[in-house]
Amino acid sequence: MGPSGIPPEGVQALQVLTIVAGAPLVSGVIAHVEGRLQGRRGPRILQPYYDLAKLFCKETVVPEQSSWVFMIGPVVAFGCYLIVPMLIPVLTTYGLPLGYMGDILGGGFILALAGFSVSLAGTETGAPYAQMGGSRAMTFGALIEPTILFVVFVVALITSTDLPYALSATVRSSASEIVRPGHVLVAIAFFLVVLVDTGRIPVETHSGTLEFGMIDEARTLEHSGSPLALLKWGAAMKQLILYTILINVFVAPWGLAASGSLGHVVLAIPALLGKAMLLGLVFAVIDNLFSKLRLFKITEFIAAAFLLAVLAVLVFYAGGG
Amino acid sequence: MTLNVPSTDAGVADVMAILVLLTEFAMLRAPLLRSQVRLYAFQSLVVTGLAIFVATSRHIDELYVLALLTFVLKVVIVPGLVMRLLPDADVDLAESSILGVASMVLVAIAVAAFAFFAVGSLHVHSVALPTSALAIAAAVVLVAFVLIILRADVVSQAIGFFSLENGVSVASLVVAAGLPLVVEVAFLFDLLVAVVVFGVIMRVHHGRANSLSTEDLDRLKG
Repeated sequence: MGPSGIPPEGVQALQVLTIVAGAPLVSGVIAHVEGRLQGRRGPRILQPYYDLAKLFCKETVVPEQSSWVFMIGPVVAFGCYLIVPMLIPVLTTYGLPLGYMGDILGGGFILALAGFSVSLAGTETGAPYAQMGGSRAMTFGALIEPTILFVVFVVALITSTDLPYALSATVRSSASEIVRPGHVLVAIAFFLVVLVDTGRIPVETHSGTLEFGMIDEARTLEHSGSPLALLKWGAAMKQLILYTILINVFVAPWGLAASGSLGHVVLAIPALLGKAMLLGLVFAVIDNLFSKLRLFKITEFIAAAFLLAVLAVLVFYAGGG
Repeated sequence: MTLNVPSTDAGVADVMAILVLLTEFAMLRAPLLRSQVRLYAFQSLVVTGLAIFVATSRHIDELYVLALLTFVLKVVIVPGLVMRLLPDADVDLAESSILGVASMVLVAIAVAAFAFFAVGSLHVHSVALPTSALAIAAAVVLVAFVLIILRADVVSQAIGFFSLENGVSVASLVVAAGLPLVVEVAFLFDLLVAVVVFGVIMRVHHGRANSLSTEDLDRLKG
């Protein structure tokens, strides 16, 4: 951190700001590209921002029987998504002051708390579709949990810590770290986890209107006005957070700022958003190549992700990780 | 448990061996018989690649010949033969097996873990490939057995048998990369005989029972 640099606290705030402000942009680009791939013109890239602005201006309707849980859920979730960017390498290669207050498990817990509060707010209304969505989200969340756990095991085996910064630095250190089978397997497993957690096509259509096929989307059906805006914004942030973890920890941790100097940090923002958009492109292509799995086939998909993560640990045991 | 970073060479070799194992798992869940045959062709292609990789990195020229033979026989001839022998009528979809796909994968994971632990206690050292590739090869063989046992159709069982041979090929690359070519070629011709035998079984069974399921075979009289 040179004399002309931004103080670490400032960089940390910038990390959160990047996720908050950049998330709708990344979602917008993905939706636009998806439209183009399907032969449509697609929504404007900035459409998510307009949507959020519109929703914040609308009145809030609350179901009669619901309590304060209904209103507090979106706020808690949004707060959780504000905390996670402090724990992961969004812009810098080095840990920031609050970067070590939680490891990968800590970040996972906070993300789980966000998902739980959204599900609870949906379930609380007593509306059938929202309840169905909440219960499905919790079920598949629990099923994907073992995979995440094994991913954490592998990170621990590779770095002897469970800090995202440590794995990021290890991947950057040499080519043999990238091709080592443990790393390749765990990166693919985490890719599948992201696919499940962001509700992309083999698991869920994020833009469908058919309630019976919904998982995450159905939870927010009862919300309106600014709480709905918070939920939508939160979902976009969750997506960008997971992309950031996949990119900056597992797959391509390059282009991060190595110091607090103004130029490095400012360059790191478009680098991250650019990488996230490229990754979004991959997800959009997957969206167009595959059809949605039937609900009871999703376990097979999750079993495949689990297989990859377990194999990574086993290969380590055999000494070849 | 050793936590040394494997060299780039060993890493690439291990990734290829794992690809062979993953194809085996993919066969386990492939619903269409034809896609199973295609997966076998892909698996053989990876084995060919692995042989070429060992040949270049360890300078064993005989392995180029082996790679060529593997490619011609296991990527082109055997899948082609099986595709032609498949009765082309209405039996493209494999019969449902005893377990669901997710449980089948879990069983296979447990079996693969056993292979890893078993080989891990052997302490084999090899100059050509990392020892972990041997564990992966053993896992391929055992998962092939799972495929043969759990899928109740003749094609899966034939493909399971052929891919078992792929696992043995990987193991032989690890343990004895310089194995006399004659022995390897003998293995490959064994495979050709097996293809003919399984082909005959497929045709005869389909001719008699009008299905490829082996569930009709548990009675003494047809």
